[in-house]
Amino acid sequence: MGLDDLWSKALKKQLLGEVTDEFLETLLKGMDIMFFLSNDYRENIEGFHGKYVFKTADDTVKVSAIFDDGDLTVLEDEISDWDARITFASPKALWSFLFSKNQDILDSLLKNEVEVDGNLNYIYKFGFLAKDIIKRLHLA
Amino acid sequence: MDIYLKDCKLSERTRGLKEAYFKAMPETCLERARLITTYSLEHGLFGKRISILDKARMYRFALANRTPVVWHTGGYAKGMVPFKFTDTSLFAGSTTSRFKGVPLYPEFLALTLWPELWTISKRSANPFFLSEEDAKELNFGIFPHWMEENITELARARCYRENAGAGDRCAPEMKLMERLVFFLASKPECISHTIPDFSKAIYNGLRAVINEAKARGEAATDASKKEFYQAISEVMEGIIAYSKNLAQKAREMAAGETDQGRKAELLEIARINEKIPEQRAETFREGLTAVWICWTAIHLENPNVGLSLGRLDQVLFDLYRKDVSSGKLTADQAVELLSCLWLKIGDHVPCIPEAGEQLFGGTGSNQAITIGGVDKEGRDAVNDLTYVMLRATELMRLRDPNLNARYYPGINSKEYLKRLCDVNVTTGATPAIHNDRAVISALMSKGETLEEARDYGVIGCVEPNSAGRTYGHTGAILLNLTSVLELTLYNGRHRHTGMDLRISPPTGELADFKTFDEFTAAFGKQLNWLIGHAVNLNNIFGKIHQDFYPTPILSALFEGPMEKGMDVIQGGATLNSSGATIIGLADVADSLSAIKKIVFDEKKKTFPELISAVDNNFKDDLPLLVELTTKAPKYGNENKDADGNVTWLLETINKAFDSKQNYRGGGYRVGYWTMTNHAGFGRLTEALPSGRKSRENFTSGITPVSGVTPELAKALHSVAKQPARYLSSGVALNLKYTPECGPDNKDEALKDAMLGRFAASVEGYFSGLDGNPDGGMEIQFNITTHDTFIKAVKNPEDYPELLVRVSGYTAYFKDLNPQMQKEIIDRTEYLLSTGSHIPYPPFDLGGDKNSPC
Repeated sequence: MGLDDLWSKALKKQLLGEVTDEFLETLLKGMDIMFFLSNDYRENIEGFHGKYVFKTADDTVKVSAIFDDGDLTVLEDEISDWDARITFASPKALWSFLFSKNQDILDSLLKNEVEVDGNLNYIYKFGFLAKDIIKRLHLA
Repeated sequence: MDIYLKDCKLSERTRGLKEAYFKAMPETCLERARLITTYSLEHGLFGKRISILDKARMYRFALANRTPVVWHTGGYAKGMVPFKFTDTSLFAGSTTSRFKGVPLYPEFLALTLWPELWTISKRSANPFFLSEEDAKELNFGIFPHWMEENITELARARCYRENAGAGDRCAPEMKLMERLVFFLASKPECISHTIPDFSKAIYNGLRAVINEAKARGEAATDASKKEFYQAISEVMEGIIAYSKNLAQKAREMAAGETDQGRKAELLEIARINEKIPEQRAETFREGLTAVWICWTAIHLENPNVGLSLGRLDQVLFDLYRKDVSSGKLTADQAVELLSCLWLKIGDHVPCIPEAGEQLFGGTGSNQAITIGGVDKEGRDAVNDLTYVMLRATELMRLRDPNLNARYYPGINSKEYLKRLCDVNVTTGATPAIHNDRAVISALMSKGETLEEARDYGVIGCVEPNSAGRTYGHTGAILLNLTSVLELTLYNGRHRHTGMDLRISPPTGELADFKTFDEFTAAFGKQLNWLIGHAVNLNNIFGKIHQDFYPTPILSALFEGPMEKGMDVIQGGATLNSSGATIIGLADVADSLSAIKKIVFDEKKKTFPELISAVDNNFKDDLPLLVELTTKAPKYGNENKDADGNVTWLLETINKAFDSKQNYRGGGYRVGYWTMTNHAGFGRLTEALPSGRKSRENFTSGITPVSGVTPELAKALHSVAKQPARYLSSGVALNLKYTPECGPDNKDEALKDAMLGRFAASVEGYFSGLDGNPDGGMEIQFNITTHDTFIKAVKNPEDYPELLVRVSGYTAYFKDLNPQMQKEIIDRTEYLLSTGSHIPYPPFDLGGDKNSPC
């Protein structure tokens, strides 16, 4: 079993809802590997420049993701010049916000568990990138 | 004329078209987004202020290059299974390139679909077909160009600039809106809500409009006016080009057609579209074609949300009368023409993301048509075409267009009113009925002349504006009134956003309020604060529209812009206003009544004790819940205190908005119609002092709370006594009547008795009362049995055409989210023969985890 398979297995588990504290890290790492492995997937971020911050309200998690024309850099810190910032109550809340459908989207709104700041179109773009992995891994 | 037109039936043509219409699922259409994006890229329109001439040239390009669909060939059925059908419509052209399309406006909210591109065809709530190829084009070729360029983000950037001194990325009004629970602004989605003036297109033709624009442009000395008139010519040429392309396509199809009947129909379409709308219409069908072609063009520019067609029975009556009197047209043929047009008008649905469907879903494009009432001189305006339109509506039973009937007591006939009630029984939900006396009074209180007010048309759901001359964005602000109560009860905080976050300035802790008046004074301060922020944001969005979204097509088909040489978005219309609608009126009024009784009058609980029980969703104080729900005064029972609290709220809200001005120099008007927002906002809100439990629906429109008004007459009187001058942007009073005679009931005596009582209830509600000579303003109905609704929840596919009134517009029951279905089922239902309600138990949503039951 290769490294990619190990990663793929971990990512699949998380994407399917077995969410752990490593969800965000696994997702971003998964995207990074997918950009490397798949030209099609990388095409999504060619020409795209977007800076994201993901954090918890208590600041125990602070991660920045910088997309720069085909490259993704992940930093374990909060950059100040973000285009979009997502503040979430828990990894599960972030998962619900990004992946789940129907009532679950509403749940995250009802519980006020996710707050977004900045340009919403960057959030929508990130949402597509995340869901595109699900499609490519045939998890939908 | 037989006003019932019972001999006019669905023709083979309209039956076939209707069948295909109900079979078809909506399909996402990229054509508009593709053309607009291509032109914007090629002409460097991104990243800068856009002039009206730039926009006009872009629209001309799009109109001239869009697909000329004369007849559709198929669509996608449930499960996204493709099907074919033979189109036989008497009108060529379409809003999108699809049979039932979802047009995309990337300038507005189309990008909200981005996360759903792979799933939107399969989502559970109102799926839209989207091919993989089209999804890729949106992802790579269209959406990326609009990330910084749509109205929402341009407004956010403006907010940041205007608040630069307060900190980095500071946009307090925008943040307040995005917390969802306080208010929504609709300008990120559209302005649209207005009625164009079709009379120039019908009776003069667009070539005459071009000639007028050229003459005015040559005479103008001001450069901006010259540019405006040039823009008008550009878009009119574009519309003419589109219609001529349809004519050319029809000729080509005719050349290859072997069926002589279809060949002749195609050649007639070609003849008409070659002429119309460039030249003036000379027949009823040509007049309808002029309206239709202009309507598709207006939708290229203005998103398909609440654009409305106005008083078509008045605008087209001369052509109808001429054709009928010369023997060219029968009522049967007119009904068929209108049925075809109604289907065309409903050929699109708005783009709504999944979370939107869950919270506020089920809506169509809310295209209102207005019939009846009085003319500008105050004379009875009901005519033969009014009845033809009613018959077409009765036969087609469509969600769009949304038919609204005007009735002036004492001027319009009682037979007409009875016919309106009859169509409501047949269709179950339409038309809504408006009291001319109250509406005209309300509009005049906002400065309209008598003649302007008499010529009102209904927009979107129920909003009255002088037709073709008021640019009124009637749904600009949707304000959740229960949030004002929250901010007052929690001293500037809201339970949804948490007790750690102060949203608004403090106005006192509960224990500080010694009298009810002190509490209502604090409520008034919080109300003014929230309205101030909602208005500020609406005006910021308005300025963004002015800078980036000029509207030459609408300006050409409106009263005022040609005379002023000014776009409607800049204030070119004869009359300018913005509209706010208020959600949660009855819930707040009943909460105020409960607080007054329990805390201040009877002192059964201290204020903190009452609110502590509310916070706990009454779990530990069932006796209090019983007291609140059964003994506290409730609006809708002719209780002076309870109804008085409603009047106080209406007056206070009206006064707060009256002090504001919009970005076009117009005032704000207030209405009480809620669409599905009373269900959506209800889901975000905890329990209230009225006894409403956590997450339950709010009450719709201006309607009293469901289940607490057992007597119909008292409920009607309580609403009718509310002064029209505080309701200038319209109201929705939603009532349910038991269908004591169904559409298929052959017992004429029974039917006649029910219709008589039905009409009497409307007449009584519209009658003047002590203190309010105008009477109730509007009333709308659901006339379907409780049992049918329950069955339709369980087996939605068995009831594809079950039409309901939500709170304003009509919808198909099956398309509504479960919470909204429950709200309609739980509405107070009255048996007209007794005048009393039928006490059904609250409907249990069952497996829905968000069910309040």
